[in-house]
Amino acid sequence: MIEKVSNWFNDRLNLKAWADFAAKKKVPLHKHTVWYYMGGIALMILLIQFVTGGLLMVYYIPEISSAHASVQFINSQVEFGWFFRSMHSWGANIMILVLFIHMFSTFFMKAYRRPRELTWVTGIGLLALCFGFGFTGYLLPWDEIAFFATKIGLDIAEVVPFIGEPMAAILRGGMEIGQGTLSRFFLIHVIVLPVALAALLGVHLLLVQLQGMSEPTSFQKESKKDYEPFFPDFVLKDLMVWMLVLNVLAFLAVIFPWGLGPQADAFAAAPAGIKPEWYFLGMFQFLKILPAHIGFIEGEVFGLLVFLLIGVIFTIAPFIDTEKKPATARFLEVFGIIILISLIIFTWWGFSA
Amino acid sequence: MNYPIWEIDVLGGPWLIGVISCVHIFVSHFAVGGGIFFALTEAIAEKNNDNKLYDYLKSHSKFFMLLTTVFGAVTGVGIWFAISLVSPDGTHVLIQNYTLGWATEYLFFVAELATIFVYYYTWDKISKKQHLLLARLYAVFSVLTLVIINGILSFMLTPGGWLESKYWGHGFFNETYWPSLIMRLLIMAALAGMYALCTGALLPKKTDADMKHRTWVLRYASKWFAPLFFLGPIIAFWYYKNIPAVVTENIASGIQTSGVGNFSIMARVIYFSLIVSGTILIYVLVGPYFNPRGFSFTNAMLFMCCGLLVTSMGEWSREMLRKPFVVYNYLYSNGLYVQKIDKINEMGFLKFSKQVPDSIKALAQEEIAGSKEAGEFMYKQQCMACHTIDGYRSMKLMVGERNEKAIRSFLEMMRSKDPEKNQYIKIMPPLVGKGYELDALAKYLHSLGGIKAGH
Repeated sequence: MIEKVSNWFNDRLNLKAWADFAAKKKVPLHKHTVWYYMGGIALMILLIQFVTGGLLMVYYIPEISSAHASVQFINSQVEFGWFFRSMHSWGANIMILVLFIHMFSTFFMKAYRRPRELTWVTGIGLLALCFGFGFTGYLLPWDEIAFFATKIGLDIAEVVPFIGEPMAAILRGGMEIGQGTLSRFFLIHVIVLPVALAALLGVHLLLVQLQGMSEPTSFQKESKKDYEPFFPDFVLKDLMVWMLVLNVLAFLAVIFPWGLGPQADAFAAAPAGIKPEWYFLGMFQFLKILPAHIGFIEGEVFGLLVFLLIGVIFTIAPFIDTEKKPATARFLEVFGIIILISLIIFTWWGFSA
Repeated sequence: MNYPIWEIDVLGGPWLIGVISCVHIFVSHFAVGGGIFFALTEAIAEKNNDNKLYDYLKSHSKFFMLLTTVFGAVTGVGIWFAISLVSPDGTHVLIQNYTLGWATEYLFFVAELATIFVYYYTWDKISKKQHLLLARLYAVFSVLTLVIINGILSFMLTPGGWLESKYWGHGFFNETYWPSLIMRLLIMAALAGMYALCTGALLPKKTDADMKHRTWVLRYASKWFAPLFFLGPIIAFWYYKNIPAVVTENIASGIQTSGVGNFSIMARVIYFSLIVSGTILIYVLVGPYFNPRGFSFTNAMLFMCCGLLVTSMGEWSREMLRKPFVVYNYLYSNGLYVQKIDKINEMGFLKFSKQVPDSIKALAQEEIAGSKEAGEFMYKQQCMACHTIDGYRSMKLMVGERNEKAIRSFLEMMRSKDPEKNQYIKIMPPLVGKGYELDALAKYLHSLGGIKAGH
C-alpha cells in the first residue's frame, strides 16, 4: 500500500531525483559545523512567523480606533490567542538574533567567497527585509511605546539626504502618524514584505542547494576530510536542533507572554526613556551620542552615512575579498570584529542608558 | 508554627527543596528504571550470548552505580535536611504517620545499594545466570522502594479516608496511588532509555561491527520511551480524574486566565511540559532511532536537559496542585493545621504559637498592634514558608504602593475562608490571628517599603 502511494507520487513529482540530489549533497564535518544550522533555524522560525502571523490576522483590525482593542481581544478572549501572539513576537526577535549569528558566522568563515557572492548578497537583502518586518510589525498593536518608537524611527529616517523625507512621508501617509501610517505598515507587513521575502528566499535557498555547503579554509587544508550526507543525516540533525529552538521559543512565549501597553494617544507626551527594539538599539544609541554637528554635517546625517558605509562594505565583501588579496581579507576580518564588538557595546549601552 | 523557622533569602524555602528534589528525582527514578533496564537487557545478552552487549552493560553499570549511589544518596539526604528545616510540621506529619513505611523503604534502599555493589563487582566473577539473577533482584528491590514512597507522596495530595479514620492504610492506598505508581514506572523506563542513550552514544564507531552494535544499543534505548508515550496520556487522565475537584478547578481557572496572567503559572508550566514531552518524542525518532550514526554524546546531553526539564516541571506541577497544603485538607504549607484555624482565631496567633519570643509575650494587645517585631514574627510564621522579602514571591512586590491602611484591608480579606470574599483561598492558607495581630503584620509589611512591579 505504502509502496503504491509512494510510486504514485514518484511518477508525478519525480521524488527519486530529488532524493538522489539531496543524498549526493555532502556536509563537511569540522569544528565550525555548528554554524551550518543557523540558516535552517532562521527558516524554521520564519515558517512559525507565517503561521502565527496568519492566525493573528484572523482577529486583528488595522484601524486606529480598533487595532489596540483587537490585540487585547486576541490576548485575553481568543483561545490561545496570547500564545500565538507571544510566539509571533518572540519569534521575530529570536529570528533576527539568529540571522545576526548566521550573517557574522558566514562572514568570519568567509563562506561568501566565490562562487557564493550572490548567496551572500541575497542573505543581506533578507536581513534587511526582516528589519522591515520588525519595524512595521512593531506599530501594529497601536500601543503607546509602539507609536512613539515608530515616530522616532521615522524622524530618524527623514534626515537621510535626498530620499529620507519622501520615504518617511510615503510611509507615514500624512503629516503625523495616524490611520494612513497604520494602513501602510499593515500592508507592507502582510503583503509587500512577505512576497519580497518569499522571492528572495527562494533564490537564496536555490543558490545554497546548487553550490552546496562552503568549506572553511582550515578544513580545505586538512588531509583527511570527513563528510556526512545532507539527506537524511544532516536533515535529521537539523530537525533535532529545530525542536530545541522551538522549545526555547515556546518557553519564552508561555512563561513570559508578550504584553500590551496602553493604547497610543497622539496628543500625550512620549513616555520617558522610550527605546526601539533591541536590534535597532545599537544604532539608536550611536546616533544619540553624536554631537549636533560634525564639521559641516548634521550629527544624525553623519551617523546614517556611517551605517550606509558599513552596509555597503558588508554587501560588497565577497567582491573585494579573494584568496589573492590577503590584505583585504585581513582588513575585512578586523572590520567585522570591530562592528560586532561595537554592536554589542552600543546595544548594551542603549539598554542600560 | 510549632518549630523554629529557617530563613532563606531570595530563593526561599520552596525553591531550595524544589531544586534538590528535581535533581534527586532525576537520579532516583533512573535508579529504579535502570534496574529494570539491566534485568531485561542482560536477559537479551544472555539469550543471544552477545558479548558486546555484556561489555556495554558492564560500562553502563559503573556509571549507574556511581551516579545512583553517590549522587542519589547525597541528594536524598539533602531533601530530608531541607524539608525538616523548611517545613518541620510537614515532615513531622509524614514521619509520624508512616514510621514503619519509611523504615521499610530504608531497608529496601539498603538492600538496593548492597545489590548494585555486588552486581557491579561480580562482573566476570560469577556465572552469567547468577549475574542475571542479581540484576533481577536489584530491579525488585528498587521497585519496592517506589511502591512504598509512592504511597506516602500521593497521600500528601489525596489523603483519602485517612482524614476521617487516621488509619495509615487508607492514606497509603489513596485515590491517586495506582495512576501515580504506573506513571512513575513509565517515566522511570523512559529515563532508563535516556541515560542509556548517553552511554550508548559513547560506544566506539571504528569498525562495521562497532557501528552495528552502537546502532542496536541506541535504537533499543529509544524503544524505552514507547510505553510512556503510548500509555502516559491515558494514565495522566486517570490521575487527573482522581485529584480533588478544587484542584482541577484551579488548573481550569489558570487555563482560562492565561491571557491575562492571573493564577495561570501552573497552567503555563503544564503547557510547556506538554511541548517538551512532544519534543522528546520527536527527538527520539529523528535522533537515535532514525539517525543513530549521527547521534552524538552532545545530542544525548541536550536530550538529557529536555528530560531534566520535563521531569522538573512535572514534579513542580504536582507540588503546585497541592497548594496551599502540605497534606491536603489537613496541614497548610505554613504549618497551620486546618482543624485548628478557628481555635487560633479565637485565641490569637501569638498566644497559640510555641515559638513566640518573650519580648513579644510581655506586650499588651495595644502594644502588639504597634509592634513591628510582633508583625515580623507573624510574617515569619505565616508567610515565609512561601514568600521572601526581596526574592521569590517578593513581599515588597506584593505590598507594592499600598499604604498601611490598604495593607491592613488586604490582610482582613485574607482571613476569610470563603472563596467569594477571598479569591486567594484556593492557593494560599487563610491568614489567622486577632485584629491587633494583623495590625502588627500590616505595620511590619509597610515598613519593608513596597516596590512597584517592573522596578
